[in-house]
Amino acid sequence: MTRVLLLLRKDVLVLRRSPLLLGILIAYPIALAVLIGLVASYGSSKPRVAFVDEDNLPDTVVLGGHRFDVQHTIDQASKNVTLVRLSPDEASRQLDDGRVVGVVTVPPGFISTLRGMVHSPQLQLELSTGTISSRVEQQVQALVYSLNRQLQRAYIASNLRYVQLILHGGDGSFLGAPITVLGIQRAQRMLRGMPQTPRTAALLDFLHDARLALANTNDALSSTAHPIELVRAPARGRTWALSAEVQAYALGLTITFLALLLAAGSLAAERDENVVGRLARGLVGLGQLVWSKVALAAAVALALGLAISLAFGLVIQVGGVTGGEPWRRLPLLVVGLVLAGGSVGALGAFLGAIAREARSASLIAVLVVMPIVFLGLIPAEIVPPAGWISDLLPFSHAVDFFRSALYDLSPWRTVALQGLWLLVLGVIFGGLARLGARRLLA
Amino acid sequence: MTPTTPLLAARGAGRRFGNRSALEPVELELWDGEALALVGPNGAGKSTLLALLAGALETSVGTIERRKGARIGWAPQRPAQYGRLSARENLELFARLEGEHDPQLASERLLRDFGLPGEPEPSANLSVGNRQRLNLAIAQLGGPHVLLLDEPTAALDPEQRLRLWRRVAELRDAGGAVVFATQNLEEVERVAGRVAALREGRLVYTGAAGEFDLADVETLSA
Repeated sequence: MTRVLLLLRKDVLVLRRSPLLLGILIAYPIALAVLIGLVASYGSSKPRVAFVDEDNLPDTVVLGGHRFDVQHTIDQASKNVTLVRLSPDEASRQLDDGRVVGVVTVPPGFISTLRGMVHSPQLQLELSTGTISSRVEQQVQALVYSLNRQLQRAYIASNLRYVQLILHGGDGSFLGAPITVLGIQRAQRMLRGMPQTPRTAALLDFLHDARLALANTNDALSSTAHPIELVRAPARGRTWALSAEVQAYALGLTITFLALLLAAGSLAAERDENVVGRLARGLVGLGQLVWSKVALAAAVALALGLAISLAFGLVIQVGGVTGGEPWRRLPLLVVGLVLAGGSVGALGAFLGAIAREARSASLIAVLVVMPIVFLGLIPAEIVPPAGWISDLLPFSHAVDFFRSALYDLSPWRTVALQGLWLLVLGVIFGGLARLGARRLLA
Repeated sequence: MTPTTPLLAARGAGRRFGNRSALEPVELELWDGEALALVGPNGAGKSTLLALLAGALETSVGTIERRKGARIGWAPQRPAQYGRLSARENLELFARLEGEHDPQLASERLLRDFGLPGEPEPSANLSVGNRQRLNLAIAQLGGPHVLLLDEPTAALDPEQRLRLWRRVAELRDAGGAVVFATQNLEEVERVAGRVAALREGRLVYTGAAGEFDLADVETLSA
């Protein structure tokens, strides 16, 4: 143990004497985490959808007495997709080559069917194959929902005008033809002026009930159109940049990158310095040499992870962000940082042992770290094989540990499970690194 | 009392790297007070034999035997030290690993004895000669009974060479032994009591230094 600590102390000293390298090693993964976060959050948030107008939509449409600016209405309704007006052929071509993920077509006769207000006109949606299509379908459904709501408002207003006409009487129009309506109120007055008989009394009673019922038509029509209405409360919670998810991924990515590169590079550097033989002749066993690199990775992961958490915490505290920073969870995070750093470090040591030279080891580590991270970012429910492979690597377990340790109400089960994964993976990769370390003597 | 086992012995010890044989099985013993010179052309297997004797390399066949309690100091041909640590830090680190009672004192003594700079300058910035001195100084840590030196004087100035051989003589006088690889026949004559000649990975000659003749070796290995 003392020998491992001596080598660890030496490595920390060497690291302190390489401020540029250390700075790049820290800044690079943080920048990468931010970029990946931005791409993940906004990259495909507004998919490109073709809009084919086969009905030559006019600039304005009057429906139920409401005037609609067609382009403005479409723009308002399509906040989550980028609608691009294309000809049918061009839209088909772009769908085939993947430049648009869907085509919304307004078929001929759409507006006239809409104006008739008897049948529902249809929009046609064609989607590309792939994981994003289901999301685009939802977004187009949202677009149609939004259009329907605007139309419903117009239809309800139009229907209410008829109701007012029936209630109060007067002149109006139906399907373009002028009409004159007596109205319930005037009918009641006329009936009261007639000789009162049981038959007029029954009619008056009916008109009274009909008037009461029609008085509630406004609310009834609205609730029929929207049996369930979604009311959006004022925005609360955190911005994306300070979310639990981003903190967990920032920690996971930074530590994975740093621990992998450090362990791989520093183990291979022992051979570059020609000291492996000197150490292995009884001073430090190859196993101890490997574990000293694992310890280095764990120590640096701990220091950097705590620094990142403190930085997040300070921003959250100073900004008065909802929920605050879970300072009391830091001890649990410390356990996760050490386990994650050690586990990734063991994988790095394995790469270093295989590569044998520091430069090759660093290159291999950089090449390996990207797929590890991206595999961990792919949702397992969408691409199950990615999840299976990711399970055999430390990154996704580290992220799950950090997320749970910081923000889960009851983190113990997840933390125990992911901690065990990290421990087992660390032991396996450490064992492989020990076997591979014999190559350093050659 | 005369010892009954050699300080260090190679018993059929050989080494392969993949399909290539770096050293065919070798039988060799090193006794108290001896100075054994390893000679032979580049690639003959001298460094491999020294690394096997030092325990820095595992044998592919055979074994290396070390007398119980015998401590070995090894200075490989290419200096084995940490370039980002100073000479003092290198010495202190290896002194601790060697189990020196007072690492700082041992380091201070070797810095002085080998004329090494005590400044905190990284050893990678030292001259080739100073790096070799540091390499040899590290080999002295832990009070070795046997010194295994791979072309130790190649980068040393004449004064440092004299100091080194004086130190080796002191070790031999105290019952220790030295094995050194060299291309310098003058050193063989002046320092070695015995010579082992290697050629293409095979031990082709062992005998007293006074009887050693390079021409014989070439004949034997032809």
